[in-house]
Amino acid sequence: MRLLVLLWSLGPLLWQLRTSLLRPEALLAPLLEGNPWTLANYRLVLSGDPPFWRYLGNSTLVALATTVLTLLLAVPCAYGLQQQRGLLRWGVGLGLVAAAMVPTVLLFLALLEIARRFDLANDLFALSLPYAGLSLPLAVLLLRAAFGDLPAELEDAARLEGLGLGQRLRHVLLPLMGPALASTGILVFLASWNEYAIALTWISRNDLLTLPIAIARIGGGSVFTIPYGAFAAATVMGSLPLLLLVLLAQRPIVSGLTRGAVKG
Amino acid sequence: MSASGDAGLELRRLGREVGGRRLLDGLDLTVAPGECLALLGPSGCGKSTTLRLVAGLDPASTGQVLLDGGDLTPLSPGERQVAMVFQSYALYPHLSVEGNLELGLKVRGVAAAERQRRLGAVLELLQLAELRQRRPAQLSGGQRQRVALARALLRQPRIMLLDEPMSNLDAQLREELRPELRRLVCGREQPVIYVTHDQQEAVGMADRIALLDGGRMQQVGSPRELYADPANRFVAAFLGRPAINLLAVAPGRQLGLRPEHLHLAEEGPVEARLLRREWWGHQQLLWLDSPWGPVRVLCGPEQPLPAEPRLGWQRQHELWFDPLSGARLHGQGPV
Repeated sequence: MRLLVLLWSLGPLLWQLRTSLLRPEALLAPLLEGNPWTLANYRLVLSGDPPFWRYLGNSTLVALATTVLTLLLAVPCAYGLQQQRGLLRWGVGLGLVAAAMVPTVLLFLALLEIARRFDLANDLFALSLPYAGLSLPLAVLLLRAAFGDLPAELEDAARLEGLGLGQRLRHVLLPLMGPALASTGILVFLASWNEYAIALTWISRNDLLTLPIAIARIGGGSVFTIPYGAFAAATVMGSLPLLLLVLLAQRPIVSGLTRGAVKG
Repeated sequence: MSASGDAGLELRRLGREVGGRRLLDGLDLTVAPGECLALLGPSGCGKSTTLRLVAGLDPASTGQVLLDGGDLTPLSPGERQVAMVFQSYALYPHLSVEGNLELGLKVRGVAAAERQRRLGAVLELLQLAELRQRRPAQLSGGQRQRVALARALLRQPRIMLLDEPMSNLDAQLREELRPELRRLVCGREQPVIYVTHDQQEAVGMADRIALLDGGRMQQVGSPRELYADPANRFVAAFLGRPAINLLAVAPGRQLGLRPEHLHLAEEGPVEARLLRREWWGHQQLLWLDSPWGPVRVLCGPEQPLPAEPRLGWQRQHELWFDPLSGARLHGQGPV
């Protein structure tokens, strides 16, 4: 049963990996015939101009900037929201849910206008502005819930000891929110990593493209040949940083879960 | 019982209202330096609210908190030099015992050498030296309570507040720790307020007891005063276990008689019928039926029961109440 679930989740990824290692003609051949393995797809992707690493770097930069910016804004918002009571908190929370559900497609024309007006096109850091904006509602909601999960007496104790707001956040509240910060950060990072529509319209310079756009631009010899192998190779390489990120963040999340069991 | 001059803690008409609900209604109270006052009452009576107002964690709607004549009301919790031991202990789970104790000192900019000196002293006092590297999760309930107490003492507070500090411990440990807690907290120069819903703890810890109900002060006094001379029916019923018998002897008058003040004999003013007997070892509790309603009588474990028992008591033990308002009626009633 476990194996079945594992296969269900990993199957598409393994298939992608297999595709990336096959010659184009082997894609249509029966399974396990001859020796079709090759690294040609990877070579093709990496030999592009600019090299594929450049896109990886671009995406990492945007995603990191987005994550940092989002968390910097979301933490104070979430704390402030958690301090409110009754109708105000409920109303703002509802507004955030609504904002989190607005489809990006509706926004990207307006965002394009903004980019033109304020000269934000072809700037990776500028790209993190709309990303952070779009991620913010969800991040605030998640972090507000995390603030709410902390026992109120902890902060009271810190207030009595003379800790100011900044000190309470730094020494008491945020260290206890490691898991929530990590998981929120990963969600924001992922959203930015995968975003297509805004990146497509805001970035036109070839050396500034982010991964999704760069992958989409990998073309075949004609409209009739789709380079599946190259797509797959690029996707595999594009997923590696995420894999690394999740593996790194796994420890604090898991250790945080067990630490949450402590009472008082 | 205000001490000489303005020394000590004084609450003046202190009140708190949230969303039209009155949590605390014009509380007047003084606690002398070095005195331990127990704030006693059922849950929701306003005792924790009072503590939070003294600490400054919640704003007061009315009234003032004065310490040695100075007004604390406008000060933030950090500026009040108040220490509080919370019911949950509120230890920082991510810090070691040492870290928990040091954080406040560090933030207030106490120099490292001075910090170490004070930390060493308090760890010694509470026998925590061996546990200094442990996290709260690795400590037992009693140890956590000691750390919370150490953190409060380290603050060198001008007021010490304890919010049900023992309610998370099992009954036996509670009894063991009570004298230790008393030794550590009371009898220093600062006033101490000890919040509890347990009358045994209140009697065991405090010099005086303030009994609250429904956000209002019911009575303040020594345990003996509250027991022997209750201001109203609530006080009479709250203190003393098993609880006082309230008998409807006449319209407009209710007679309160404590189970330990009743006795059974061949002769007596009221007849009674035995329903049940609880044997406690050092005493026995008898459940009886009488014309005035059910009655509990506490008597010696070996006391023989008459075949047709009658209830008797001494007039000095009679407590009379208004059955509607619960107010104490002074003067003797008709029997």
